[in-house]
Amino acid sequence: MFKSLTARAIIPVTVSVTGFVVVCCILLYSLMKADMTSDVILLETNQAQMIVKSTRYAMRHDDRESLANIIDNIGTQQWVEHVRIFNKKGIIMFSSNHSEVGKLLDKNAAGCIECHSGAVPAATLGDMKQARRFTNDKGKEVIAITAPIYNEPDCYQAACHVHKAGQKILGTLDIGLSAAPLIRNLTVMRNRMVIFSIMVLLVTVGGVAALLRRYVFIPLRMLMDFTEKTVQGIEQEIPPCGGEIERLAGDIRCIVKELNGLRREMAQWKKEE
Amino acid sequence: MEKGGVNHPVQQRLSPDFREGYARLRQETLAHIRALQRKFTAELLSASLFLLLSIAALYDFSFFPSLPEGVRAALGRPPSVTMIGTVLVIYVFSGIILILSRMMIGSGRYDGIGHVGFIAGFYLFYHFSGKLPENFWAVFVSGMTIFVLESYHLWIYCSEEIAREREVLASLERKSGG
Repeated sequence: MFKSLTARAIIPVTVSVTGFVVVCCILLYSLMKADMTSDVILLETNQAQMIVKSTRYAMRHDDRESLANIIDNIGTQQWVEHVRIFNKKGIIMFSSNHSEVGKLLDKNAAGCIECHSGAVPAATLGDMKQARRFTNDKGKEVIAITAPIYNEPDCYQAACHVHKAGQKILGTLDIGLSAAPLIRNLTVMRNRMVIFSIMVLLVTVGGVAALLRRYVFIPLRMLMDFTEKTVQGIEQEIPPCGGEIERLAGDIRCIVKELNGLRREMAQWKKEE
Repeated sequence: MEKGGVNHPVQQRLSPDFREGYARLRQETLAHIRALQRKFTAELLSASLFLLLSIAALYDFSFFPSLPEGVRAALGRPPSVTMIGTVLVIYVFSGIILILSRMMIGSGRYDGIGHVGFIAGFYLFYHFSGKLPENFWAVFVSGMTIFVLESYHLWIYCSEEIAREREVLASLERKSGG
């Protein structure tokens, strides 16, 4: 079966096209997944910066009620899983989940270790290093960002505050968004790529198979039938085949014509005897 | 019945030169058949090696001890994932074209171990860049494509060559009357 002419023509084409399309699709999906995740992280970083800037006025005026209200409102937004602000010691000062206010965070926890891995905590990190992905208590996948709240001149120069100019970071904002929209988009994209790949394979392999059948296998089968019948002594004509096979058919026609002529002559001699 | 009316055994009828040539040709043909069988076995061994390597890669080479930091530092930064992916696509494309062209010209050349080396290189590059789990299937499908195509080509080639050599053997047997 695998050594037939059809298999020899179709199997290499099928394996080559399938393999190449699948490899390209996997790599493309992997790259697009990385790009889409980076976009989500960039968007989340911008949101975190926006929240820090929006809450700065309330922080500078030590308006804790307004600050808690802003955090609560942001926490009610769709796809926002958590928002919290913790101070330099790691104590949660404000959170959309009121039960965790006042709790101390472990410096080795995900989201903290990125800055606190060394003896001296890092003051700045790239967007990708600030991001972490985990499954929360509700079983939802979350992409979270930790944005440092820097000590700016209007903080340490304000009369009401005690921060020294040398203190670089006052606290950190932690915001976690649900990864569900990203996962949904990736699933839709993956399904589309699978359908696209199957269509490409069907068109390529089907096209090659159909053309080979029409121009090679059917004429070859006709020639085989013709030669078999000639061997059995049945006389018939080969229909036109087209292409290079027509030359072969022409040669076979000549040989068969001569063979039939010889057969007739032999039959004549036998009759005469 | 021979001239003179005496029937001699076939071996006695043949001249010594012919007998020697026949024996040598028979040995050469048998050796060629064995070489062709070995060639296909070597290809199957390469494919098995590739599968073993892929099993190790599936578990991110966790069976093996991790490289010391000093060695990692000496190796330098791994290339970017995009670059490894681009090279992988070029490798699969050129590999498929090479095998198809060998099929076209009927050449029995094969690069089994070479391909295992290339695939191992891709697995290791992805492993060191920390992106092997995401890209494992891309490398695995590349290897499978190359090995399935090459094994199929070699199987057809060796079967045809062995059939041809067996025909030579049969014709030798006929000529020697054996």
